[in-house]
Amino acid sequence: MSRRQLVSNALVALALVALFGWLCTAVFALLGTQTDWSKAWEYRETLWRGWLVTLQISFAALIGSIFFGLLFMLGQRSPLVVVRWTCRAFLEFVRDTPLLVHLLFGYFVIFAPLIARPLGERGFDDKLIIGVLLLSVFEGAYLGEILRGGVESIPRTQWESARAVGFSPFQVYRYVIFPQALRRVLPAMAGLFVSLIKDSSLLNVIGVAEYFYNTKNFISRSYAGLEGYVPLALGYLILTLPVAWLSHWLEKRFRHET
Amino acid sequence: MKLEVTGLTKCYGKTRALDGLTLPVETARVLVLIGPSGGGKSTLLRVLGGLETADEGTVVINGNRLLADPAALQTYRRKNGFLFQQFNLFPHLTALRNIALPLEKVHGHSPAEALAMAKQALDRFSLLDHADKLPAQLSGGQQQRVGIARAVARQPEILFLDEPTSALDPEMTAEVLELIQELAEAGQDIILSTHEMGFARAVADQVAFVAAGKIEEVSPPASLFDAPKSALCQRFLSRVMRY
Repeated sequence: MSRRQLVSNALVALALVALFGWLCTAVFALLGTQTDWSKAWEYRETLWRGWLVTLQISFAALIGSIFFGLLFMLGQRSPLVVVRWTCRAFLEFVRDTPLLVHLLFGYFVIFAPLIARPLGERGFDDKLIIGVLLLSVFEGAYLGEILRGGVESIPRTQWESARAVGFSPFQVYRYVIFPQALRRVLPAMAGLFVSLIKDSSLLNVIGVAEYFYNTKNFISRSYAGLEGYVPLALGYLILTLPVAWLSHWLEKRFRHET
Repeated sequence: MKLEVTGLTKCYGKTRALDGLTLPVETARVLVLIGPSGGGKSTLLRVLGGLETADEGTVVINGNRLLADPAALQTYRRKNGFLFQQFNLFPHLTALRNIALPLEKVHGHSPAEALAMAKQALDRFSLLDHADKLPAQLSGGQQQRVGIARAVARQPEILFLDEPTSALDPEMTAEVLELIQELAEAGQDIILSTHEMGFARAVADQVAFVAAGKIEEVSPPASLFDAPKSALCQRFLSRVMRY
């Protein structure tokens, strides 16, 4: 770094710190003595339970979205034109309408009347299961497109060589195409999984008691402000940062390979 | 090998890549296809190698008729070898894994067995030093040699080579051609297409001149290169031999 760059960097850093410091001071001055962290501590059990549910939803929807993503990707590569078109139309619909609408419509109009009672009778939480299903389909639609892009970016000769050595169609995907395609789409996939974790907060509209829902309740009951929102943000960061880091690490590792 | 190809036609959209091609070969160890680019050499090789099915016509190799059914074709591909111009190897696997993986997953050898066979295949062509390298770390010539090692690791009935040296510089071309000649001398049945006329002449038992989706002429190299009968073939040879 040259001397000039060093000085500029220092100046900009100073300005940023000053700005952030001023913002914090201003906000805290306004809130004044109202901030009471013991409120958050009082509700720690609800918050913790909500956070665990969010973790469960994220994990289940991650698996689910991979399943639907693969399904949508294969559907779009089907030799049957009807399957391809149906898949395409469904994907377009899912991707071009808000998740909030899917959750409300999917839960209250389609699934709740259909399967809420049998699920409830068997002791399942129908909201959680239907919510995870709808979230999986939504993220799966994006993942399907990401995977399709990756698979289609593998050169033709690779498909041909794989067939030439005698691999079956399944083996061609399993041993030749997927390992290469996944390396290419890893950053996009990690981005999607981070979105998935954040989008899981929308499940509160159908009444799933996840992290956002519980925090919201805590805030409205105790008139908390900062004490509610700061743990909320931190709770999601704890889930999303490892995913982002993992993806950077994998990306670096694979970059050296090819 | 004995080859009877009758009335082979293959269209891609409006282009007729093969146009009622007929090729009888009574007996040949090495059959070389020459001819202008876009004349149908690759398509013919791909049909013969079971990678593509013709729209019309029949192929009988060593008395067995080639079927269009995908499962039958897969079985057929498993007992033969095929090499393309380039990018044959799987870039995410080392040279050794490239050879061992099909042995393990396609031919059902145990992992240890597959590894030993793969090492042997590399050793045969003095490539053992490169066993743990990824394709990107190999030169083009080495990549093609590993590709050939993979194709012959399990003694294929016929080895198909589609312009194996077209993407290589002269030095690498020589190293790959030497290897192919070695295989031919060891008794491997080979069908290959090439633009290397000198090599075709040296290694072939039969040379077929393919143009416009048809066989214009097929005969032993001496007669085809010294006294071509068809006008197209004469013109082609006089042009490529000029420099």
